[in-house]
Amino acid sequence: MKRYFTGIVPLTALSALLVASLFMMSAAAQNSAMFGRMYSLLLVINILGIGALLALIVANFYGVVKQYRARVMGSRLTLRLLAMFVALAVAPVTVVFLFSVQTLNRGIDTWFDVRIEQALNDALLLGRASLDAIKQDLVKTTNEMAIELEMGSDRTVLSSLNYLREAHAVGELTLFSQDGRIIAASSQDGPESGTLLPDRPSEEILARIRQGQRYATLDATTRAGLRLRIVVPVYSRDVGSPIRILQVLQPLPSRYAKLGESVQTAYAEYEKLVYLRGPLKFSFTLTLSLVALLTMLISLWAAIFSARRVVAPIRELAAGTRAVALGDYKKRIPVPSHDEIGILVESFNEMTRQIARSQSQLKHSQREAEMQRTYLETILTHLSSGVLSFDHRHMLRTHNAAAGQILGIDIAASSGQSVDSFARAYARLIPFTDAIRNAVRTGSREWRAEVELTAEASARHTLLLRGTLLPGLRGRYSGYVVVFDDVTNIIQAQRAAAWGEVAQRMAHEIKNPLTPIQLSAERIRHKYLPVLADEERPTLDRATHTIVEQVESLKALVNAFADYARPAQIAPKPINLNDLVRDVIELYRAERGPASVDTIPLRGIEDDGPATNVKLRLDLASDLPPIVADAGRLRQVLHNLLLNARDALARLAKPTIRIVTRSVSEGEHRYIELGICDNGPGFPTDLMDRLFEPYVTSKTKGTGLGLAIVKRIVEEHRGSIVAENLPGGGAGITIRLPVTSAADKQAADTGLAALPKRRAHGDESA
Amino acid sequence: MRVCAKFRTGDVHLRCVFFHIVFVGLCGATAVYASNFKVTSVQVRAVGSALSLRGTLELGLTPAVEEAIANGIPIELAIDVRLYRERPFFWDERVGNWTLRRELRYYALTGQYLISAGIGAPVTRESFVSLNEALTQLGSLEDLPLALTAPLPSETQYRLELRAGLNVEALPALLRPVAYTSRAWDLNSGWTTWGVQR
Repeated sequence: MKRYFTGIVPLTALSALLVASLFMMSAAAQNSAMFGRMYSLLLVINILGIGALLALIVANFYGVVKQYRARVMGSRLTLRLLAMFVALAVAPVTVVFLFSVQTLNRGIDTWFDVRIEQALNDALLLGRASLDAIKQDLVKTTNEMAIELEMGSDRTVLSSLNYLREAHAVGELTLFSQDGRIIAASSQDGPESGTLLPDRPSEEILARIRQGQRYATLDATTRAGLRLRIVVPVYSRDVGSPIRILQVLQPLPSRYAKLGESVQTAYAEYEKLVYLRGPLKFSFTLTLSLVALLTMLISLWAAIFSARRVVAPIRELAAGTRAVALGDYKKRIPVPSHDEIGILVESFNEMTRQIARSQSQLKHSQREAEMQRTYLETILTHLSSGVLSFDHRHMLRTHNAAAGQILGIDIAASSGQSVDSFARAYARLIPFTDAIRNAVRTGSREWRAEVELTAEASARHTLLLRGTLLPGLRGRYSGYVVVFDDVTNIIQAQRAAAWGEVAQRMAHEIKNPLTPIQLSAERIRHKYLPVLADEERPTLDRATHTIVEQVESLKALVNAFADYARPAQIAPKPINLNDLVRDVIELYRAERGPASVDTIPLRGIEDDGPATNVKLRLDLASDLPPIVADAGRLRQVLHNLLLNARDALARLAKPTIRIVTRSVSEGEHRYIELGICDNGPGFPTDLMDRLFEPYVTSKTKGTGLGLAIVKRIVEEHRGSIVAENLPGGGAGITIRLPVTSAADKQAADTGLAALPKRRAHGDESA
Repeated sequence: MRVCAKFRTGDVHLRCVFFHIVFVGLCGATAVYASNFKVTSVQVRAVGSALSLRGTLELGLTPAVEEAIANGIPIELAIDVRLYRERPFFWDERVGNWTLRRELRYYALTGQYLISAGIGAPVTRESFVSLNEALTQLGSLEDLPLALTAPLPSETQYRLELRAGLNVEALPALLRPVAYTSRAWDLNSGWTTWGVQR
């Protein structure tokens, strides 16, 4: 619907109509018979049409201004073009209009010449003078006829009138009574003239006659043309008789009549023209104003139309550019024409097509790179080895989670930092950073190094580093990558395996000769003790006794090594660790001492003097889930740890052992933790990293296999064990055992049995 | 004699009103009807199939119109007549329209004012020496016959509305815009109502 009001067709139609209407109005103003009657209608049509055109233009202009205020794309250019078009159109039209109006007014003024006007006035006066002369002649004749009629009576006057009319050659003679009644009349026109009654003078004329005056005039009639009317009184000779009135009507001679009519017409037309000079100027000025206004309005409309048409593809182009800037590369603009703007639009479309193609390829490449990166990240994340990559300025670029875990730092916070800043921030990593710096300094393409890091708790970690240079552009290297592993556990496992081998060989090599030695000593004792002299008997007795005792001791030692090296025999079943703890400590309960639910007196070690009871505090979690484990093996663990703790508390004033159980969750995995702490002197610092190795002990007695066996049993249950010195003094052992779910229970029944069989040596007395 | 077709009367009428609204509105002037024209008395009698109209119109001209006449511009008097049949419960029914026209002009050669009868408005005299005399004659309606299509029923009441005014459309085209926009040229008596005698 809108296009019926805004397109070029309604504009052209309306403009054509208005131009035609203006043309007709102009013709009407010039007294054209054709349009004269429609002048007012045409004027109204033009004013209304121009009003409609003005309303349309105002509406369009308002729309443009509204778009400009709303900062619609292209509105500014539209307005600028509009202003330019308007300036180009309105100024010339205004100038032409002003000059035309001035010229027209002057031209109209020149139509009226004073001499012509004077000539026409003179002609009119001359005509009047001529007619007056004729009129005076007729007045004289009429007076003579009136004198002749004075003697006649009303009955005979008709013949007199006929006679006088013919004698004086007048058109019509009528005699009226004093009151205006017709007495007699004589006319040269017959009945065929259509006028039966003679023309009667008006009451005003009759009144003048009654007063004794005469009336002479030239009547102009539409029917009879110009004619003279003379009215005079007819006095009676009889005294006292009323007067009569004689009227003479004489048509003007045709020659005079034509000349008079000509003068009258020319004078009247000229007078009319002079009078209409003002309205004529007004009319022409109005017509010109309407033409100028119409021209300007059509120009305005054309300006709006043209500006919109010119700006439309530019607006589309700008919108397309903005869309491309926002990332919409599928934007296509319809080609409006085949001119320069059309070529521009086509070029834009081609450009967006190429950008879209490039963008698609780029996205594809990015997607592939992303996939590669995700792939590498996944590998790096799940890699147990730590991976660090540095750029050519030794700044950390890439890392994985395992790197942070192995180094014990928040590696993400160190991203973008240099190797040196690592060393400054973490002093214990200096061996690590030194190894990297040294390797990079040498410039070797691939290198290996082994470093030892000491943690705060004096725990040592052995890291194995492997590094390689990363290839860069133009044959240069763009950085390097360092892959490292914590091989502490591997080394410990190797040691444990070596010790197991040693224990097995010792058990095999030492155990065999012990029985013959023991039997030989007993045989010597049995054979020679009775036969020896009394003074030599005690010596033999003491010697053989010592041999047998030491052999028994050696047998015990060998059995312990055999246990350590013997393959594990595990019988897992659901147990409650709290119950197991309570069972074990019952074996060590002292007869006397303060006891409660959580505090139990334990027998102290009987070393050099009377044993001091040890206070055992239990902190057992009530919601501890059951675990699947070998109760006998765990019982051995508790025995070993309790004995170790009790031994460490010998000769302390207030020996205390604390046993803690609790449930722990890490992610989806659940564990139970068993902690045994004492307030003794703690572990020797120099043994911290080898506590769980065989033959590592600070005690004077024992085989040094206690903690090694504990660790072996814990590992058999897929658990972990940590030993540490407590901040307030004392030693602490924490064992973490996994809690198997119901689904895992059945698997555990067979799974634990299917665990890799490990050889272990054990010694209950650590 | 039916003097004016219904369409023509209505057309002229509507146009007059329309132009009045447009021009007066455009010029921002207030339309005030001049009281120079008055219908003094009217007598209407039903005579067979015709109405006989007698009456007197008081026609006072403004100086501008007098000046125009003196300068040879003819003016036309239009007398609009409407006949209504009165109905008790409905609006009155219009049963007849007439428009009578008379022209007044100045004849410079003889110094007289001439009245020529337009359509349906015959005059007894044509030339007058003074304008007042001519206007008096112009406003004198003497037994004007208005033709009906059929005799009026005796039992029905009728009323007649009459209005006299200057016909601007009869003026020269150039003068019309001035006449439409000037109050000096707004000569109209307005409608007056008169009973129809039997």
